[in-house]
Amino acid sequence: MNPDSQKVWNEANQRANDAAQAQRRRVTVDPITRLEGHGKIDIFLDNQGDVEKAYLQIPELRGFEVFCIGRPAEEMPQITSRICGVCPTAHHMAATKALDDLYQVQPPPTARKIRELVYNAFMLEDHALHVYILGGPDFIVGPDAPKEERNVVGVIQKVGLEVGKKVIGMRRQLRELIAYFGGKVIHPVMGLPGGVSKGLKAEDLPRFKQVAKDGLEFALFTLQVFHDIVLKNPRYVELITSDAYTHRTYYMGQVDEQNQVNFYDGQIRVVDPDGREYARFPAQKYRDFVAEHVEPWSYVKFCYLKPLGWQGFQEGPQSSVYSVAPLARLNVTESMPTPQARQAYQEFYSTLGAKPVHHTLANHWARVVEMICAAERMVELVNDPDITGTDLRCLPTKKPSVGIGAVEAPRGTLFHHFETDARGLIERANLIVATQNNAARIAMSVEKAAKGLIKKGQVTEGLLNMVEMAFRAYDPCFGCATHTLPGHLPLAVSIYDQNHELLKELVQS
Amino acid sequence: MSLALAESGLSAGRQRLKRVLVLGLGNPILSDDAVGLRVAAEVQRQVSDSADVEVIESSEMGLTLLDLVTGFESLVVVDAVQTGLAAPGFVHQWDESDLKALPPVSPHFLGLGEALALGRLLGLAVPTRVQLFAIEVADPFTLGNSLTPALDRCLPAVVEQVLLLVGSGLGSKG
Repeated sequence: MNPDSQKVWNEANQRANDAAQAQRRRVTVDPITRLEGHGKIDIFLDNQGDVEKAYLQIPELRGFEVFCIGRPAEEMPQITSRICGVCPTAHHMAATKALDDLYQVQPPPTARKIRELVYNAFMLEDHALHVYILGGPDFIVGPDAPKEERNVVGVIQKVGLEVGKKVIGMRRQLRELIAYFGGKVIHPVMGLPGGVSKGLKAEDLPRFKQVAKDGLEFALFTLQVFHDIVLKNPRYVELITSDAYTHRTYYMGQVDEQNQVNFYDGQIRVVDPDGREYARFPAQKYRDFVAEHVEPWSYVKFCYLKPLGWQGFQEGPQSSVYSVAPLARLNVTESMPTPQARQAYQEFYSTLGAKPVHHTLANHWARVVEMICAAERMVELVNDPDITGTDLRCLPTKKPSVGIGAVEAPRGTLFHHFETDARGLIERANLIVATQNNAARIAMSVEKAAKGLIKKGQVTEGLLNMVEMAFRAYDPCFGCATHTLPGHLPLAVSIYDQNHELLKELVQS
Repeated sequence: MSLALAESGLSAGRQRLKRVLVLGLGNPILSDDAVGLRVAAEVQRQVSDSADVEVIESSEMGLTLLDLVTGFESLVVVDAVQTGLAAPGFVHQWDESDLKALPPVSPHFLGLGEALALGRLLGLAVPTRVQLFAIEVADPFTLGNSLTPALDRCLPAVVEQVLLLVGSGLGSKG
């Protein structure tokens, strides 16, 4: 075919593809996703006025692979950390580990420990933000508090100004530590295949020892706050353990050789709804265990355990749905790797009953246990003589082909997968982010909450609150274009009758 | 002032060399989400010799914004927004009271309004005058380095509006 004909042919093909795509979208998505809104929930009632189905719509990040194709693989830690302003360090680290794998090179001990130190500082900072600021309105202020108090100002009023200052100050110290190695917190430039770009100078070590010590003190203080405000209130404990927020699913998380949780590295372990080990595999094998199911009503791909096949939004022995995030990590670990976190972990299970704990709202408590673990690990690392070493890099010499890396992001297991040509230019790229891993369970939680609160067409007051609490415990990311003003996500619930006519719209205001 | 607060470096008396901060927010690789950054870059080019105005481009959010804005008297924010109520390229001009009217609890983030409220509660020197230019965008969800056409076209007008506001002596004493 001559070049002109080829061009016409290609253009026509493109138009046909676009038209087919547009048609498909319209047919399968309308009318449910009339608006591609943030955190939009659609509830469909049957002819009795009871909930038939409830859906949470999450906008999807588009064009990731197209954007990456042809770029050098070394850019991936920078590009992926720019995707999301919430967890840049998690993306940066997962991509860096995928580059290690791509070039078949391992970082020297000092580089590995620096990565781990930065990563644990990030976990501590991010978890603290959630416990106090984002999840705080649910537990610290309380689910029944007046709406105008259920916000960050209400949290600070409840815990006191001094604590507010402590949170802000601690967060800043931890971010300074991350910035020391990464240049910037939001777009770090630390990770290189086989190492890191900067070491820790011996003269700066005392400062870092202080940050780690303060971090541990702060994490233990947070456990005390959680005790005083949440655990001493029997109503909260009742809420955490209530059936409305309970799902018997599988759990996934990363563990070390002793089957103890490790945020930075290890193998992926999965336990079944009774807590028995179902699988243990290196990140490189993720495609053998994780598959994605697509529903016509959502852009979201729902992850499930591939060997079990998609069994629907089902819990119990028949389920193939799994969950990630703090609660899942505690459920897959055999114990915590550090002493004070271990103590907090034992208290967690002795209070909430046998392992695994299936109560979604227990994620908040699990997050506090993990804060202690992250801080203790920081203390260990700054006291390790390797940390000020100068051997920061193993230079890659092998030809690249496929690289897969995983970390435990604050919100759960995060997989990065890149395939390149022999020059290291990206040919394929795939991410599975925590919220995707959790998507099926989140959908189940939203539906369960809706079913409990709508009967015979009557919508119980407080529906928004309760539904929101159901998914906030997972701390989901609604796509990654989350920067857009107003900087947060107005929750909207639309309720439709059996003919899919809109009955009612509730917007949080 | 408490020791903790002084140590945090966010002390109430924190001094900035300039009075006015123009803060462009957005994600540089999410198509239209970058519009605030693009506006800020152009504003920076035009006010680079100003003794009064500092320009920052940032992809940060929530609490971190407090670190950026504390110590300035006046704050001008340029960011992307999707209300679905206006055509792409339309500029909503809001002040802080409009932020307060937005939902108080977010499932995931701390909004700018909440960050400012928190800063005040903690006695930080957050700006007393806050103006927002929220630009209605078409596509903030596709990875890419370029803006959609309507957003590209609106850039000069938005830059001019920001410069006009800044040049009007925004936040000047008395």
